[in-house]
Amino acid sequence: MSTVLQSLSSELADAVQSAGGAVVAIHARRRIPASGVHWRPGVVVATNHTISRDENITVTLPDGTTAPASLAGRDPGTDLAVLKLAGQSFPTASLRPETPPKVGELVIALGRPGPSLTASWGVVSGVDGPWRTWQGAEIDTLLRLDLAIYDGFSGGPLIDGAGRVLGINTSALARGVPVTIPVATVERAVSELLERGSIRRAYLGIGTQPVRVPESLVRKLELKVDVALLIVSVAPGGPADRDGWLLGDVLLELDGAAVSDPTDILAKLGGDRVGRPLAARVIRGGQVKTLQVTPGERPKSRAA
Amino acid sequence: MTASLLAAAGLARELAAAVDQLRRITVQVRAHGAATGAGILWTGGESEGRGLVITNAHVVRGDRATIELSDGTAARGRLVARDLKRDLAALEFEPTSATPSAAVRDSPPLRVGDLVIAIGHPGGLVGAVALGIIHGAESPREGRTARWIRADVRLAPGFSGGPLADATGRLVGVNTMTHGSLALAVPAAAVEAWVRRSHALVAS
Repeated sequence: MSTVLQSLSSELADAVQSAGGAVVAIHARRRIPASGVHWRPGVVVATNHTISRDENITVTLPDGTTAPASLAGRDPGTDLAVLKLAGQSFPTASLRPETPPKVGELVIALGRPGPSLTASWGVVSGVDGPWRTWQGAEIDTLLRLDLAIYDGFSGGPLIDGAGRVLGINTSALARGVPVTIPVATVERAVSELLERGSIRRAYLGIGTQPVRVPESLVRKLELKVDVALLIVSVAPGGPADRDGWLLGDVLLELDGAAVSDPTDILAKLGGDRVGRPLAARVIRGGQVKTLQVTPGERPKSRAA
Repeated sequence: MTASLLAAAGLARELAAAVDQLRRITVQVRAHGAATGAGILWTGGESEGRGLVITNAHVVRGDRATIELSDGTAARGRLVARDLKRDLAALEFEPTSATPSAAVRDSPPLRVGDLVIAIGHPGGLVGAVALGIIHGAESPREGRTARWIRADVRLAPGFSGGPLADATGRLVGVNTMTHGSLALAVPAAAVEAWVRRSHALVAS
């Protein structure tokens, strides 16, 4: 009699069933719907990239009924969106914010790309520290998954063997590879989106590329590092342009810290930096110069 | 820690036992000019003393096929029924010894997340195993059984016609095709009904 195998099977199905009670289908694009999670009473978390219209959004609830929802806010940086749902009572997700997932932990991705729930299983294949998405959002933990993803799974939860939510899955942050946005990041984004409708991020309006500074120049200018960031684009009328930064400047330091990777710049550009000047050291015309820049608010476009 | 290691060891042992049992009801089906597929030993029913194998119609294109049992004995299979729409075929053969047959899961209904085990012969690898879970439950329409069982289990060519079973080794479907990484199986209940109907036809 296979008792361990059987109980594993029914525990997995129990986990799917209990967590699935908070998973909804989001109808906000053509083709098939995507998924969402009832995060707080009346608040549904979904992914930004699966919401292609701001109005006429409907949600299919776990009991099969359909209800209208309103978009409370969206953030391309984290690929999260928050919807409000009025007058519906069904369970909210049970979250697991305190113990981070471990490599090798058995996990299930849930989706509701229509009236019925779908699941795929696998393991957490990688857990890493904080990382930045290509649009500058900081995600607390990088969770990589070894599981198959299906159409419409974005916005659905990653759950553990007990049905507790570890985060929201999306295929839009890492070139189609599934990643999970951890609970802590989702919580932060939800609060800010409910309050302001968007997430503020500071912005300089430059594009950069790491370059090696020639050894002679390193010696001549007495630099501490030999990799810096060459400014390869300056957005016309952007903060850096207004403050006199030029194409070809080589950025050595920003706000007192050496920069050798574009993410080093993003690390200095939290929402609270908007309007507060930053000092920078650049190489211009073979000389080290000190510049200032006052970050603006990141526009909704995709500029870096 | 020790308790969880024991549980993991128990899990591995039980999985191996369930797979062993399933391999015994899984045959190889070799038809002229086609790659090897899988088949399931089915209870003979009316045809006394004859073995019955269920597989996919796309595995047996002609009206004959060679059946190789898990113990290595081969037999000549004769096509007795075929349904292209359901992609099912039934072959009869004369077994040289007593053969086991698949036990079908009647109840309870499968739930999303339930473990499933698939057996097949991908690329000539005999009796290969894939483990997965039920991906989605298709709500059956009034008075009808669901058309497909959808499982999150990675199958390859060579699994066609083979068994999809639950955690206790009972048959839940016949692996028939894949859609991306999704496996689609004909529900065992639908196969049973089809066998009853087509057998009546063959007998008359």
